[in-house]
This record gives sequence, structure tokens and C-alpha cells, in this order.
Amino acid sequence: MEAPPVTVMPVTGGTINMMEYLLQGSVLDQSLDSLLHRLRGLCDNMEPESFADHETVYLLKGQQGNPFLLRARRSLAHPTAPWHLRYLGQPEVGDKSRHALVRNCVDVAASHSLPDFLNEMGFRMDHEFVARGHVFRKGALKVVVSKLFRVLVPGNTENTEPLSLSYLVELSVLAPAGQDTVSEDMRGFAEQLKPLVHLEKIDPKRHM
Amino acid sequence: MADVMNVGVNLEAFSQAINAIQALRSSVTRVFDSLKDGMKNKETLEGREKVFTTEFQDNLQAVNRDLNELERLSNLVGRPSESHPLHNSGLLSLDPVQDKTPLYSQLLQAYKWSNKLQYHAGLASSLLNQQSLKRSANQMGASAKRRPKVQPSTLVLPPQYVDDVITRIGRMFPDMTIELFRPNGTSAVLLVTLGKVLKAIVVMRSLFIDRTIVRAFNENLYAEDGKLDIWSKSNHQVFQKVTDHATTALLHYQLPQMPDVVVRSFMTWLRSYIKLFQTPCQRCGRYLQDGLPPTWRDFRTLEAFHDSCRQ
Amino acid sequence: MGVTCVCQVPVAEGKSVQQTVDMLHRKLEQLGAVKQGNFCVDCETYHAAGNISGQPPKFLYVMHNTETPLSCLALFEGGPYLTADANFDVLMVKLKSHFQNAKGHKVESRGARYQYCDFLIKVGTVTMSSSARGISVEVEYCACVVPGDCWNLMKEFMHSFLGPNIPELPSIFTTKPEGLYAPVDSTDTMIQYLELFSKVRKQQVVPGSSVR
Repeated sequence: MEAPPVTVMPVTGGTINMMEYLLQGSVLDQSLDSLLHRLRGLCDNMEPESFADHETVYLLKGQQGNPFLLRARRSLAHPTAPWHLRYLGQPEVGDKSRHALVRNCVDVAASHSLPDFLNEMGFRMDHEFVARGHVFRKGALKVVVSKLFRVLVPGNTENTEPLSLSYLVELSVLAPAGQDTVSEDMRGFAEQLKPLVHLEKIDPKRHM
Repeated sequence: MADVMNVGVNLEAFSQAINAIQALRSSVTRVFDSLKDGMKNKETLEGREKVFTTEFQDNLQAVNRDLNELERLSNLVGRPSESHPLHNSGLLSLDPVQDKTPLYSQLLQAYKWSNKLQYHAGLASSLLNQQSLKRSANQMGASAKRRPKVQPSTLVLPPQYVDDVITRIGRMFPDMTIELFRPNGTSAVLLVTLGKVLKAIVVMRSLFIDRTIVRAFNENLYAEDGKLDIWSKSNHQVFQKVTDHATTALLHYQLPQMPDVVVRSFMTWLRSYIKLFQTPCQRCGRYLQDGLPPTWRDFRTLEAFHDSCRQ
Repeated sequence: MGVTCVCQVPVAEGKSVQQTVDMLHRKLEQLGAVKQGNFCVDCETYHAAGNISGQPPKFLYVMHNTETPLSCLALFEGGPYLTADANFDVLMVKLKSHFQNAKGHKVESRGARYQYCDFLIKVGTVTMSSSARGISVEVEYCACVVPGDCWNLMKEFMHSFLGPNIPELPSIFTTKPEGLYAPVDSTDTMIQYLELFSKVRKQQVVPGSSVR
């Protein structure tokens, strides 16, 4: 079969070019309760939602360039729920005036055959972890307070140990590209959480 | 009616108990009143606190005393009898405004009437059994002789008995599972799953089948509120037709004295749908007619026919 | 989801694709089937870039069906299969350095959707690079979930408007080890479409059969 030409846009559905705006921080275990208390007061009036997710990170190595990274997440609390596959792009370099880290983001809900399928595509598992914590919402803002656990035996989510003595706090918004005003809202919200937690724009590349 | 009035209710104790409740309410009110007023002006701070505490203690003790009194009385009152033939509806007779709402007397009349009807129907049925009629006569004759009138002939059967009958029927057919629910009171609702072909909801009134609805194997059985949906019909025309035929079958299999035989016959008939999509019509030999498979099953031979191919 | 059978119907002799499709429509309408809008099933082909030489090229297919407009099915021939939401297409764009879209290989089947009692019938024109390549007919019997149970019944129905061109029991049902049970998602249907599309792809272009 002849090599078919590469195309520009085969997209039939889906929402293109969504950006994730992100601020991160952490709190020690002992100050978790006061942070949760504060969040309950600040966020939309809803039942606090807890979660326990198992995330597996897959890599696809090509001949050139960076490996392609995908994150597959499944809920341990709701085993019948679909899997969540996430692509995160490189953080946008750019003006310092933006208050949050901005990167391309694609969220896909997928059936349970996802691990097999990624394997067939050539992806290999890089690492995995379990995240347990709470989700809060305020309008479009999403706050996730979670503790990360190391998986001791690959694939066995029963057997885990905490990665550290603190909780990861992430404040994020999904918005179409170019809506930089959301980062203002995020800064405002992060301001209100001080001094319980300092949410900052953290470039993951610097920590690699 | 007279015996309804003294169903073990001690009227004297009743009125005392009502008084006790009133006393309890007023003492509780006093507690909150004093809490609301807080510490009243007194010369010294200690004085204020002391007076407040003693007052609060007194009030709480009063509440305790009244509560004990109420508990003592409530034992005297006695429980309303549960073995009344009309169940809780018997309590209607306690309604003092007889003239405005003559519900109780109407209820009694209806009950008598229905009892009488049951009795006459029983007599008529035993008379008819002696004639050999065409409709389902053979089943009636045979089983009626074997066990004459052993079943209680009223509408009220103990739920335990219904459970037993249903479990026994369920065991007869391995390809059929019957689940029993009691969503509202004692009346049972059966969920019958037949192979991978259909699911039927059968609404019972003690052991009499009241209503049935048939849906496809993969159709939704539960309404949005999570309850068993016994009303909405199937989305598929085949099963709407089968539902119609099943309702006809309910009218056909009638034997008031032996309701369990009726349920068993109905289930045997329903089971013949296990090959709903696999059996061609016994008359025209084809699978489809107007887009529907043979949905009719003969009541006696259980043979499959298209609706328009049966006699 | 009921039991579904997808098959290719040959173009009638001396007729164009469109004329054959019109004839099928007429036959269905005579039977009493009612037209209920349109449908479209499409299939994108991707091939893995940088294949290790010597290995046969591996193809990844992404299919859409208007019956399930918010999801898509991604699959390799012979499995595994993945049902995902429409964002999967966006992900494939991101993956373009690893999986290249073979635009010329896009196949779709478009046409009318008919209902007759508990049957759903979809007569579609299969097109590839904007030329009509054949006719697909999908028949679904919605009331039954076991293919083996209702196959004879479906055959009788298909005979009534396809005449002698009725297909055999689709191999997807005969080869499945876990009994003859149709799953809730439309994987079985889509795999049958994929088989039909690959057959059409290999086939020569019917002369003088540009779309409509």
C-alpha cells in the first residue's frame, strides 16, 4: 500500500484547543483540616466530594523528539465508571504577566479496554500512583486536594505507601485558548487561601 | 362495631397520657425560655451564675419527671390490636365525625359485599366444574377433585405462603428466574426473566395476578427514581403484542379456589416464549408476518401462531 | 442494542449505484417501512509512523456512527477495541507524529434510515475519495439480543427486500467464544462495517459512478 499523505485536520468531533490553567502548592498533613474547612466555605455549596484514583502514565517513544506522554486514570471508588485519558502539552513559554501555568489539554473518556489498547498502539507504562483526596468547585475553578501514594507492587492498588507527609493542592481551570482572564480569577482565589497554602505557577520542567 | 371500640385501648390511661404530654411540652418550653432569658440582673456575677444554674437544673429535673410519667402511662395505654380483620382500616371507626365521613360503614359494606361475592363465585365455580366446558375445563376438573377446597378462599393470604408458592414455581423452570419484591406493603411484584428473551413484571394481589407487562431482555426495568417501573410499555412492538396476549392469558387462566394453580399455569404458558424468535408459525410456516414473529401461544398446546393465524 | 447484520449489496446489472439504492428504498417503502432521517458511518485510517522495517504496517482505525454521535470506536483489526468520546479525534491530531492519517483512505457510508416494526434498516452508499464504491445495508432487529436466536427471522426479513442477496451469519457472531450475545455498545456493528469497508477499499472503482 502506498504511503498515504499526512493530513491537517481529520477531526470530526470533539473540542479542539482546550487549555489548562494551573497553580500548584502543598500543605502538610496536620494543616489539611483547616484548608478543607476554608475551601468548604469558599467554594460552591455542594457535598464535599472525595475520590480515590489510580493513575498510570504511559510513554510512546518515537524515533525522534520527545516521547509522547498520556495519563490514564480510573476511579477506585467507582469501578464501573469510564476511564479517563488525558494528554497534557508542554507548558506555554511566554509572558511573565500570566499568573498561571498554561498548557494544552485533551480529556477523553474511554472504555475499560484502554490499557490493552494503549499497549497495542505502542505505549508502555512508565509509572503509576494512587491519588486520594477531595475535589471542590467554584464556578469553573477546580480545586483538588490529594495525597499521592506509591504503588509498591505494580498493578496492585491495595498495597500502597504515602509518597510524602503532605497533600498536593492544585487549582485549575479548563478554558479555550486565549482566555487569559481566567488566570486573574485564579490569582484572586489563590490569594484567599493564603496563608494556609501558597499556590504558585510551577514549571514542571525545572524539576525534572 | 362494638368490639372495635375496645380493641384493648385503655381510655382512662389515654386521657392521662395526653395530659402528661402537655405537661412535658410545657416543662420543655420552660427550659428553653430560661435559656433564652439568660442570666438576669443580679448584684454580683457569682449570684447571677448561681441563680441561673439552679433554675436550669430545676427545669431539667421537671422535664425528666414528666418524661418518666409519660413513659409509665404509655405502658398502660396498650397497643391497638393488629389482628383486626380490616387491618389498619379498622381504626377508621375511631373517627368521631361519622356523619361527615361515613368511610367506615361504607368500608364494612364493601367488605361484606366482596365476601358474599367471593362465596357466590365459589359456589358458581363448583357448579360449573361439573359441566365440561370448553375453556380450560380439563385442568379445573382434574385438580379440583384431588384437592377440594384446601386453599383459603379469601383475598388475604399470609405473605409467607405466597413466597413459598412462588419459590416452588421458580424451581420448576430452570431457564426462568423469578424475583419477588414487595415495594408497597404486602402485595408482591414478580420480576420474571426468561432466558435472554424477555423480562416480565407480574403484579400480584396476594396470589391473584393483577397485571402483567412484558419487555425485552435488555430494556430498562426501573423508572428514573430507581423503583420498578410497572406501568410503561415496551418500546418494541413484539413485546407490546406479547403483553396483550399475556393479559388475555390472565383472564383465561381463572380458578378462584386454587390461585396457586393459576399462577403455575400462567408461568408454564409464559415459559413457552423462550423460543419466541426461533419458532416459525405453526399455521403459515413463516417467521414474520407484518414484521412480527409468532406472538400468540395456544393456551392448551402452547403452539406458536401469528396473531392473525390463530383460529 | 439489538442484533445487527451489515452486508454489501451488489449494484444491479445495468444500473448505477444511486439507481440501485433508489430501488431498495422503493422496496422498503412498499413493505411498509417508514423513513426516519439519515445516517452516516465513517472510518479514518491511521498508520503508525516509524514502523520497524520487515513488519507489516499496522493500521489504527477510528470510526464514527451517527447512531452514537458523541462517541467513537478506535480499533485495530482483530482487536483490541476502544470506545471513547469524540475528543479521541483531537488526541489523534496531537499524536500525528506517531500516527499519520491516511486521508485518501477515509471511507464512509451515508444514506437513509428506515424503521419497520422492530427492525431498523440503513441503506448507505459507500464512498471513498468522493467516488461511490458500493452499497451497504444494515439491518438491526432491536427486540432480540441473541444473534443465534433471531438469525432465521432476520434472514426471512432480508429476503423480503434483498431477494437472493442475503448474507450469511456475520462471522463476528460465529467466532465469538463467549456465547452469542450482542454487547450494549455497537462494537459488533462497527466491526462489520470495518470488514465491509476494507473489502470495498480493495475493490476496483465502478466506472461511471461518481456520487449523485
